Amino acid sequence: MAAVIETKKLCKVYESALKGQDVRALNNVDLSIESGEIFAYLGPNGSGKTTTIKLLLGLIFPTSGEMRIMGSTKIGRPAIRKKIGYLPEGAYYPDFLRGEEVLEFYGELYGLGGKDLRKRLGAVLDTVGMTHARKRLIRGYSKGMRQRIGLAQALLSNPEILILDEPTTGLDPIARKEIRDILVRLRDEGKTLLISSHELLEVEMISNRIGILYGGVLQTCGTISELLTNRDVTVEIERVSPEALAAFRAAGVEPEDTYEQKSLLRLPEFVSLYAAMDICRSHNVTVIAVKPRRETLEELFVRVVGKAQDEERKGALR
Amino acid sequence: MSPIESLLLTCGAVGILVILGVIASVISVSARHFFASSWSIAVYTWREGMRKKTLIGFLILSILVIFGSSFMTAFLAQTTIGDLESDVDLKLIKDICVTAISIFGVLITIFISASVVPNEIENKVIYTVLSKPVRRFGYLLGKFIGVQLIVIVNLALMGGLFFIALYFKQRMWPTLLLWSILLTYFQFLIVSAFTFAISCAASSAVLPTIAGLFIFITGNLTEYLKEVYNRGGQSGAWFDEAIRKLAYGLYQILPNLQNFSLKDEILYLQVNDPPRDVMIPNLIAYGLLFALAGYIVAYVVFWRREL
Repeated sequence: MAAVIETKKLCKVYESALKGQDVRALNNVDLSIESGEIFAYLGPNGSGKTTTIKLLLGLIFPTSGEMRIMGSTKIGRPAIRKKIGYLPEGAYYPDFLRGEEVLEFYGELYGLGGKDLRKRLGAVLDTVGMTHARKRLIRGYSKGMRQRIGLAQALLSNPEILILDEPTTGLDPIARKEIRDILVRLRDEGKTLLISSHELLEVEMISNRIGILYGGVLQTCGTISELLTNRDVTVEIERVSPEALAAFRAAGVEPEDTYEQKSLLRLPEFVSLYAAMDICRSHNVTVIAVKPRRETLEELFVRVVGKAQDEERKGALR
Repeated sequence: MSPIESLLLTCGAVGILVILGVIASVISVSARHFFASSWSIAVYTWREGMRKKTLIGFLILSILVIFGSSFMTAFLAQTTIGDLESDVDLKLIKDICVTAISIFGVLITIFISASVVPNEIENKVIYTVLSKPVRRFGYLLGKFIGVQLIVIVNLALMGGLFFIALYFKQRMWPTLLLWSILLTYFQFLIVSAFTFAISCAASSAVLPTIAGLFIFITGNLTEYLKEVYNRGGQSGAWFDEAIRKLAYGLYQILPNLQNFSLKDEILYLQVNDPPRDVMIPNLIAYGLLFALAGYIVAYVVFWRREL
């Protein structure tokens, strides 16, 4: 598939007037986001996610490196911007305007007007489920509704690329699910989505590929199945006697969450399922469930960022 | 050239510019988009700006002062006699109102010019606007026009009130006041353009507001630089000469905002007299030139600014 967004050795240094106080926000970032995918761009605060997004939108300028959007290096040109919809984190929409007035303003910036604007307005309000509230003042909107209006303004030009910075932060579970459903629907319509988020569970549910950034360096990048390789098995047991617990410990398995004679065993790689079953049988332990378990995105994130932090510390000590 | 001729000349020039703009927009789709998006930004800025509490506060205060001056002179009228009475009354009203319009008008101008761009950066609206197919030049133009719409509306409200007060006091059309308001606007335009330019480099409205006040005060003291130039260099000392040259240089560069003041004419002439010793078209051109310089500085500062 063709890369819709591509960066090569992208670097951004925020220069300071004070000597030696420059901040290297991005360091040789190579990204390739393909058409029709949801790419989750993850990283702790200050890792360089928003810097990358601002570079792609032409709001700031790279120190070195290359960027291509739909094959063009002319980032920031109106023709390219027309193909991008952007939702910043926590953007403000004026309280005194109605939902549709906000969208009319943004539509006019795209050069839409008259019938075209009205048609497009109806379509995006429908997509984000805000048709019923289009005439209401923004000040009467809930946080979720404001976020949906934000999403609607990003969709006005029917863009091929959507860049969303924390699209579900601060929303209640229902609003989150609704926004998530909209994003998946947009992906299914063929749009390419770049999502920067801290909501790892959601990202895991909807994204095709992820990139984890730390200290301005892309630490890892790939599909969910490529990256979440660590697997283990959990065994749920009950009627666990102290002798059985001792036997599990002796075999190298530390029972987790023991409660009312029930316990959860997470088998490390060196303990086979058969060996665990043997202990259960010999100590009359009832096995309730055996579940294969894949590493979660949160665990991967903690592992990758933790490793990068360790290396950073070692580097600082040297 | 009479004031009417000057006005016609100005209207003619503006008309030609509008016609050229219309032709360009018809010819080019991108130009049409440029003007349309800039205008949308201007209207948005105007609508948002007119709701700012500080601005509304300044406007209410100015209206209170203009109304209050009429009440005050009504009270003073009881203690004065003869022709002197109406003369003192009138001068007092004029003095208070002209000063109120100047002070509150410039405060509104500085406040709004200093805050539109930094506020948009702070609340992130700028990201949603500049990520659309809008050039930075067009964005700034829209913002600047929006600021001017706010200044014009406020000036029209304050001036309109003063106009009505004068009309009811003298029962004649105070046309001189209209010229004064027109020139006051061009004075504000210069202050606004340079405050706006500074705000394009700032991350908050505080510094540009202070700078705006400084520009207004300095611009009103430019005449003193001429005095320094005329009086300097007499001792023959090198620093005396240097100060003289510096004063001359600054006098040439800095806008002289006193040129736009018709306060003395308003105070001492009949309200329907034409303005004397004032070349209105020249002053308008002077104001536009400085405003253009301010806008160019704003664009130079902003076009590669990292947001």
